[in-house]
Amino acid sequence: MKALTIVTTLFILTLFFPAFPLKAQNADELLAKMDQLMNAPNDKQGIVEITLIKKSEKEKVREAQMMQKDGKRLYRYTQPENQAGIATLSLPDDVMWLYMPAFGKPKKISLLAKSQAFTGTDFSYEDMEAKTYAERYAPKLLETNADNYMLELTPKDEKSDYSKIVLTQNKQYYYPEKMEYYDKGGDKRKEATYIYQKIGKYWNASEVVMTDLKKDHQTKITMTDVKFDQGLSDDVFSVENLEQPKE
Amino acid sequence: MTEAIIKFKWIIVVVVIALTVFLGYQIKNLQINSDVIDSLPDDDPDAVLFKRIGEEFGGNNMGIVILETDNIYKTEVLRHISQITDTIKNIEGISSVTSLTNIIDIKGGDFGIEIGKLVDEYDFPETVEQLQMLMERVNSKDLYSGSIVSKDGTATLVIFTLENYSTVKTIAEEVKQKVLALDLPENIYFTGSPMLVTYISDLIRTDLIRLIPIAFLLIAFILFLSFRSIQGVVLPLLTTTIAIIWTIGIMVLIGFQMSMISNNIPIILLAVGTAYTIHVINRINQLKETNMDRAIKMALKYITIPVILAALTTVVGFISFIFGAYLKMIRDFGIFTAMGTFFAMLLSLVFVPAIISMISKPRKSKNDIEVRVRKSYLSSNFLTPLKILLFKHPKYILISWTVLLLISVFGIFLIKRSVNIQEYFKKGNPTRLAEQIMEQKFSGTKPIFVLFQGDMQSPEVLKMMIKTEEYMKQSPDIKNTQSVADLIVEISDVLGEGRKIPDEKDQIEQLWFLIDGNETLQRFVSDDLEQGIILSNFVSPENSAKKAFASYMRKFIDENSSPECKIQITGMPFVDITMDRSLINSQMGSLSIAIVFVLIIVALILKSFPSGVYATIPIIAAIVILFGFMGFAGIPLNIATVLVASVALGIGIDYSIHIISHFNHSYARSQDVVVALEETIMISGKAIVINVISVSAGFLVLIFSQMVPLQYFGMLIALSMLGSSQGALTLLPVILILVYRRKKR
Repeated sequence: MKALTIVTTLFILTLFFPAFPLKAQNADELLAKMDQLMNAPNDKQGIVEITLIKKSEKEKVREAQMMQKDGKRLYRYTQPENQAGIATLSLPDDVMWLYMPAFGKPKKISLLAKSQAFTGTDFSYEDMEAKTYAERYAPKLLETNADNYMLELTPKDEKSDYSKIVLTQNKQYYYPEKMEYYDKGGDKRKEATYIYQKIGKYWNASEVVMTDLKKDHQTKITMTDVKFDQGLSDDVFSVENLEQPKE
Repeated sequence: MTEAIIKFKWIIVVVVIALTVFLGYQIKNLQINSDVIDSLPDDDPDAVLFKRIGEEFGGNNMGIVILETDNIYKTEVLRHISQITDTIKNIEGISSVTSLTNIIDIKGGDFGIEIGKLVDEYDFPETVEQLQMLMERVNSKDLYSGSIVSKDGTATLVIFTLENYSTVKTIAEEVKQKVLALDLPENIYFTGSPMLVTYISDLIRTDLIRLIPIAFLLIAFILFLSFRSIQGVVLPLLTTTIAIIWTIGIMVLIGFQMSMISNNIPIILLAVGTAYTIHVINRINQLKETNMDRAIKMALKYITIPVILAALTTVVGFISFIFGAYLKMIRDFGIFTAMGTFFAMLLSLVFVPAIISMISKPRKSKNDIEVRVRKSYLSSNFLTPLKILLFKHPKYILISWTVLLLISVFGIFLIKRSVNIQEYFKKGNPTRLAEQIMEQKFSGTKPIFVLFQGDMQSPEVLKMMIKTEEYMKQSPDIKNTQSVADLIVEISDVLGEGRKIPDEKDQIEQLWFLIDGNETLQRFVSDDLEQGIILSNFVSPENSAKKAFASYMRKFIDENSSPECKIQITGMPFVDITMDRSLINSQMGSLSIAIVFVLIIVALILKSFPSGVYATIPIIAAIVILFGFMGFAGIPLNIATVLVASVALGIGIDYSIHIISHFNHSYARSQDVVVALEETIMISGKAIVINVISVSAGFLVLIFSQMVPLQYFGMLIALSMLGSSQGALTLLPVILILVYRRKKR
């Protein structure tokens, strides 16, 4: 009798919680939650340190002040010494403005090829795009384990350099822990690992390490002195401001 | 000693088998290294710099796929280029791929900078106008025209770099297989160091697999014809095979690799090494002794010294390469062939008697009769007429030789030298065709590096690089140069700052922000920014062009190099010049060492200096004829043919030694020149003829080699064997006749 009860209970449970449709729905929601977490603050600023690591070579460190709002991102470099004052302003629609003090006027750079590496890092322009993940990728839930959701993200743009990205998402807070990038030949090409910390009411990636598995090269980005919702004005993200920093 | 061999025959056989199994097992780790660059010497500054730059800047890791068709500006062709590009990109171990369909195109103008692709691989140009536009864009930039696409638009390159050089063969193999598997209608060729090295390795492997069995069977056949006994075939081949296994096994054990020269060690040992065992068996068979052990002892007493000396002269011929050889692989070849020759000799004197003693049954005394019967064919058709001619017309023979030698001396002046790697391949070989396309439609494949030591971000250094590049391009053999200075000029241009190196250092430092960490940058500047190179290629294979360019560049460097900006130049053409010069030095060096040593050895054996001189005359004559033939036949002196003379000397001297020692022996007994010479020619002459046939046959197998220098090597050695044996059988007896006639008077 007891066995029968268990079987019946299981049967009823499955009726109420149909596994597959639930998963499909979940994937979109999970990705949306990640986008939401990443874009929650109105604005964000901090000190970014970019370290380029290659085996057998000296590490290279760059430091910049970073400000971000509404898909616009401003970097003002402070290190290395001889590149101090260089500033980049990334705007939506793949436009970047570059200011180099030794040359004066800012230059507009249009990015038609996004697979290019961003100035020597292991991040491509595609990886750094301001658009949300949901806008760029179609998600599919692969599995759920004790701590994580595993999602497969398929690029919506056929020009993407990747065939898919496998995302390991924190089950409790929805932030990404790991992203594995697969090339069009189906081989794992790059891997990013994230360390998220809660600062005030927001979650923030305090460290991202991107490893190019083929080139055996790493880029580590850490962020300190993070401040949120400082009410950064739109003027901060203007081309004119690249030249003369407004505090 | 002979007692011991028979007493401990079981131990000897077991030890030999154990050693053979152990060393044979090592051979499975045998690696083939066909990279000439690895073989460059550490005492030539050009070669050292060339190797260093290749390693530090990764210049040797670049492979190239050439796609050739009537017109590459067609949608279908672009699609195929893209297929090749993607195929290579997805291969494990490839760190980057550059082709027409994925190369970045940076445009500058009033609108700012536009970073895009030259060809949109997701939206190929299809209309005539679009394709025309692409062609115009390509032709407008040196970065594309002549470097990625040929100026006439009939060929294009897919250039890839390997991440790690140690796996070059597997990766290159995969590239070749996968690209060919696409089965594209255009002509596809492969070139560049990784592809070339892999291809040569393949040739070496097929040569080994194909040629050794042929040589083996051929020599077995000749042995059978000469001895008509299983023992006479099996024992010589067995001892040589063991000697080969030992040699290659030791080579692997102490960390040497098989090179494009040492791959003919087995063939050479097969040809040379069988002789020692033949002598031993022959001597045992000639004895009428019925007790085998006693026969062995008696035979060894006679034969040990001659066999050791015959081997010693051959060893000297090989060892002579250690001195004066430019490439390490030639030196290694000399050492290991000498080692193998020594093993073959050792085995024939120790292992062969032990085996014979082990397997022998009580003998029947039938052998001798057979030997005498067989002797007659060769005797009546060749040796007897020869003998008659010698005594009737010694002066005619002498005059014929003199004329032949004079003609040959004239030929020596016609000998060309070649260090051009392309000539290693047969005509019509795909690698050779690829090289031709690279020379005619692109900028060649012989790398040139100009090294700058100074601050790579200083305007002065960068401007000097540009100046150097402009100077280089005035040479007819330099079509293209690349450096970090070009990159800076290009970026300065798109930023609207003019096509030039900025005048201020801080401007350069900031421009650097855009190229920092870029993969291509590693090919041009060192990590600490204290060294940078100009990368270029040299077109002409001619030595005179290389020399002219070297002095042209040295003049510029002398005038422009400074402590702040030190300039050095190296590259394959520079290495070639030294290699070319060293061919002569190496030839003279090894040959004179070999002659001197052989003369001393022979004089010691014969216990007379004049006899030593007489014995070396035929072989020197044979070498003069060899060089004369090379001159007239247009066979160049190259890294393989440079070996022929000394090898021929080492092997060919044996014939003279046999003739002279036999003659001295007979003459001492009979005191009659005619009788002594007759006996010598009829008995030793036969042995010599058989030996020449088997040794030459072994070397002639090399004619089937995939590599042209080895074909020449085999042919020329065979020719030298013929020359030295004829010298020993005709010239030497005539000299002896004339010398003894004068003595009588």
